[in-house]
Amino acid sequence: MAIVEVRDLYKSFSRGTERIEVLMDLNLDVQEGEFVALMGPSGSGKTTLLNLIAGLDGPTDGTITIGGQEISSLSESELARWRTRNVGFVFQFYNLLPVLSAYENVELPLLLLPMSKAERRAQVENALEIVSLSDRMNHRPGQLSGGQCQRVGIARAIVTDPTIIVADEPTGALDSKSADAALDLLNLLRSELGKTIMMVTHDPTAAKCAQRIVHLEKGRLVGQDTITASALSPLEVSR
Amino acid sequence: MTPDFAMGQTAPDVSLMQAAIYAAAGMFGAIFFLTLLACFTLPIFFAAMGSMSLSLKVLQNFPDPIGKYSKLGGLVFRSLRRNLLRTALTYVALFVLTGMLTLIYGVVKSIGKLTAEKEDSQMVIMSDKFSIPSQMPPGYAASLKGVIRAMPPSSQPRPMIDEERSKKGIPASPLGAIRAEELDQLFRDDLDRDEASPNRRRFRALATEGLNENFMTWSFVGASLDPAKFTQENSLFLFALDPNSVKYGMMSEQGLNKEDLGDDNWDEMLRVIDTMNGDRRNIVIGEDRLKTIGKKVGDEVKFYSLNYKDITFECKIVGAFPTGSRMGNSAAMQYDYLDAKLGDYKKTKGEAHPQADRCLNLVWVRMPNKASYQALAAQVNDPSKFNAPAAKMETFSAVIGSFLEPYKDIFWGLKYIVMPAIGVIMCLVIGITITIGVRERWTEMAVMKVLGFQPWQLMGMIVSEAMLIGLFGGMLSTWFVYFVPLMVKNGTRAVGVKFTFFDNTNMPWEIVILGPALGIAVGIIGSALPSWNARKVKVSEVFAQVA
Repeated sequence: MAIVEVRDLYKSFSRGTERIEVLMDLNLDVQEGEFVALMGPSGSGKTTLLNLIAGLDGPTDGTITIGGQEISSLSESELARWRTRNVGFVFQFYNLLPVLSAYENVELPLLLLPMSKAERRAQVENALEIVSLSDRMNHRPGQLSGGQCQRVGIARAIVTDPTIIVADEPTGALDSKSADAALDLLNLLRSELGKTIMMVTHDPTAAKCAQRIVHLEKGRLVGQDTITASALSPLEVSR
Repeated sequence: MTPDFAMGQTAPDVSLMQAAIYAAAGMFGAIFFLTLLACFTLPIFFAAMGSMSLSLKVLQNFPDPIGKYSKLGGLVFRSLRRNLLRTALTYVALFVLTGMLTLIYGVVKSIGKLTAEKEDSQMVIMSDKFSIPSQMPPGYAASLKGVIRAMPPSSQPRPMIDEERSKKGIPASPLGAIRAEELDQLFRDDLDRDEASPNRRRFRALATEGLNENFMTWSFVGASLDPAKFTQENSLFLFALDPNSVKYGMMSEQGLNKEDLGDDNWDEMLRVIDTMNGDRRNIVIGEDRLKTIGKKVGDEVKFYSLNYKDITFECKIVGAFPTGSRMGNSAAMQYDYLDAKLGDYKKTKGEAHPQADRCLNLVWVRMPNKASYQALAAQVNDPSKFNAPAAKMETFSAVIGSFLEPYKDIFWGLKYIVMPAIGVIMCLVIGITITIGVRERWTEMAVMKVLGFQPWQLMGMIVSEAMLIGLFGGMLSTWFVYFVPLMVKNGTRAVGVKFTFFDNTNMPWEIVILGPALGIAVGIIGSALPSWNARKVKVSEVFAQVA
């Protein structure tokens, strides 16, 4: 069953009088528990597609349905509410709040949900344990390495148990060792927790962690590859 | 009150330009003083912020929703702590500006209060209509009393009732207990006309007492201790009056009342007045003036009048007006002594003193209400009654209004240009600070939006930051401006020391509420635009730029 259904999607931006078509007639299905990598040259529309799927922007035309909910028609505040519950976002530059500890950063989205304090604590501790940062929960981002920050970012993305996790070049700012660790973690989330992941990347090695690579060019879907390596365990992939 | 002002002078010595320069200098002085005070209060500001932040931390341990919202509230404090220098500078700026606004408000309010026409009891002044300074024949006082006595009972000045006497520390009336109900019953226009009736007799006694208590004449005497030389160090300015006027609170406006002087000083004042009444040569001099001329209470003093040429007074100093009070640099003598000296002059020289027929400078009357004042003023202004010279009657507030008339443009400017300008500057200061803060956290705003924060929640956080700085800046500023002088005034009074500056500081109490409210309002207005921008932050654009 497709958890992400993109149909006849168009997205264009206006720059002065000029109209720039970013995505054109795009159709895409992502199955539940699938790990999809979006690849393509700069300006091909990967990040735009990811933003549309994450409900950060609205399409010019077409529909996007996530987990049975059509999000293209939701208002800004409805989208905000929907995102809290259904989308976990992993950023290239982690984007943690520097004034908050790792624990507080991960807890932040939970403050927007009707949850007791004990439930919040349990979920935050669980998420930090998954990313192996239970011993760093009181550290602030400035006291953590880039790789650790990205793991906190991943913990924050999964703490609400979202429908999909979207990652925009999650290894782009990391050294190769940390990048491997982050990719291991994403793979673990898919294999062990059955999470659906969509990742934008330029890195072919990173893309090989996914089960499927979707190629975009000039706003169109130009091809898809199924990666057999994804059958390997996360540790094997990283090596 | 200066002598010139007391004489009903309408053309001030200070030109408009000079007054504007003084006002500007005063404002710069106030800014300097407030900046120092703001820097001094920075630890209090940070301690207060820290306490609030700590309280929120404690509240985070409470069950939801208190715990949850305390966490979100904590974000606001953490944001303010990111750049302590910027937060501190914003606080200092708001402290100074709110302080300035408060001080100007206090001045404008006080002037408005002083010049506002009252409906109830009115202090009115009779003076020479055309001459500056006012100089009237002494007979005008008796004539005016005659006019007042002839007025209908409801328009005549009433003696103070027992409750009021007790409150103001004024001795009991020789007529026995006086109650409001009795006065209401007797001071009626339809009072029994029968002269022999007890009501009529009691009314006459009370009306005479009422006139004594509410009537005061002033004659100004300028004098020097040295007949050959007049200097600041050997000169005296005296009010020649009936000492009992002070006892009945007729010199309240000059600070001679229980509230301004304090219980002990007022009791001492009453004792001094009784001593003064014992001998017409007894005088009271302000403590500041006593220091200047190098005399003390108990000294005999001989002084030579400047405005009553060839008249010498030989007096005994029996008391002192407290230092720092508005009479601290002046003196009071008995009018009877001046009158006797003028009589002696006539006997010796064979003719009246040139000033004898012009020795009454002002007459003060406290009328029961506006209507009675207007009725009396109509008679005083009637040329057939007081015509050599013509006299006029004005309320105290009207006199002040006339005095301040040349400066009205300055007050208008303060009220309608400076005050709004300060308000706008406050909004700009806080707006710029918050805008810089929001710009710095632009990506964070976008991230929070990605995490599911509603636009209004982001807006609320930004506005709360601005409101917090505004609240503390406004609150500490106005509280210091209001409470510090009050504490110094009362504290020093308690140990018997008085500071002129603090003693004369009377800020309106409402600034204690208006200051924090203004700070909050400025915070809301100033942060409106940056918080709106934060609300409208477009996540995809922010991350496109980041990438």
